Amino acid sequence: MAELLITPSQTIGPFFKEGMELPQGDTLFPESVPGRRIRVAGIVTDGLGQPVSDALLEFWQPDAAGRFGGPRQGSSAGFGRVLTSKDGRYSIRTILPGTVPAADGNLQAPHILVVIFARGLLRQLVTRVYFDGEALNATDPALARCGARAATLVAKRDGADAYAWNISLQGTNETVFFEA
Amino acid sequence: MKLRKIPHGVHPNLLYPSYKSTNERAPRLPAVALEPAAAELSGPHFERTLLYPNHDDMTRQTGGMPLGERIIVTGRVLDENGDPLPDTLIELWQCNASGRYHHEMDQHDAPLDPNFRGFGRVMTDANGRYRFTTVKPGAYPWRNHPNAWRPAHIHYSVFGKTMLERLITQMYFPGDPLLGYDPIFNSVPTDRARERMIAHFDLETTQPEFALGYHFDVVLRGPEATPENR
Repeated sequence: MAELLITPSQTIGPFFKEGMELPQGDTLFPESVPGRRIRVAGIVTDGLGQPVSDALLEFWQPDAAGRFGGPRQGSSAGFGRVLTSKDGRYSIRTILPGTVPAADGNLQAPHILVVIFARGLLRQLVTRVYFDGEALNATDPALARCGARAATLVAKRDGADAYAWNISLQGTNETVFFEA
Repeated sequence: MKLRKIPHGVHPNLLYPSYKSTNERAPRLPAVALEPAAAELSGPHFERTLLYPNHDDMTRQTGGMPLGERIIVTGRVLDENGDPLPDTLIELWQCNASGRYHHEMDQHDAPLDPNFRGFGRVMTDANGRYRFTTVKPGAYPWRNHPNAWRPAHIHYSVFGKTMLERLITQMYFPGDPLLGYDPIFNSVPTDRARERMIAHFDLETTQPEFALGYHFDVVLRGPEATPENR
């Protein structure tokens, strides 16, 4: 059996902007897709508490019924990509994800997979954002593995249909990153 | 489906102090082991409608021909089992032949080329092959350490079938004397893995009176082989 060595990761560097912009990258679903419309926004900070102004964030989630990959112009519904602003902020418009089972068949709490690239990150960081107030958070297997740090993955309500979720790459309230 | 574990000695450690930006950006707490579920084991598809005019030829994206040594890069996107990945999106970006990016934050005192933007986007064909034309990027200084210069490189962003295969890397050129001094290249722990990031000169792709050819394969994580599918 052929077995090839995988290509190593390298940093995205600081100069990717125009090369990586996707049309309507901040809108994960077309208007026609049913579900509770929400906004998720926050700030990315480094170990010095400084905003990370050159990060690229990618999001991947199912629709409200738990299905992945419906149609959308140019790519799949449920995928998003945003660049952080000069003050380290990002914002996406999406719908509250449906629930999908974990590998063991138990239901996971609604969540969005988040992949983070930036200058100074030699490989991507993988994490998830969950939503405050969801009953399934209490039994979600991935959150359970995070112990006291699970709170770093739960977006807080910020108005009726908005959530705030900050990403701390290092140091105070360092966000949980996963290895899978 | 289950993906193979990433072998040791391939990816850099997140904290690599000689690449200074890692010091305040690399997480300090250990990663939490995650049993991959549906979100990790699926991923978006991309359509050819994302391919803008001359998406695969960075020398023809403006009215005129950019300065520099014209090159053609071909290769395949494969998984580690050797299976080709068709219809996979590759996004590319690079500096111009003088070592300057078309980017507001690049302050290097080298000329911008009005005929070069340095962005490309290609999709692999049914056999996992891709091809694009560009000019060879220049070396450029950065402020990581005294007299620091990046070796010539082209940035690659590649999607596989699932979000766990996602890869951003850099393609380097054979024989570049700056490779030995570059902390980003040398953050990859082993010779064998570093060699994976260096393209090969390819006389077959080279076109007479036109452009030099290089070959560069990208290998992504692949599924664990099972008796049924092997």
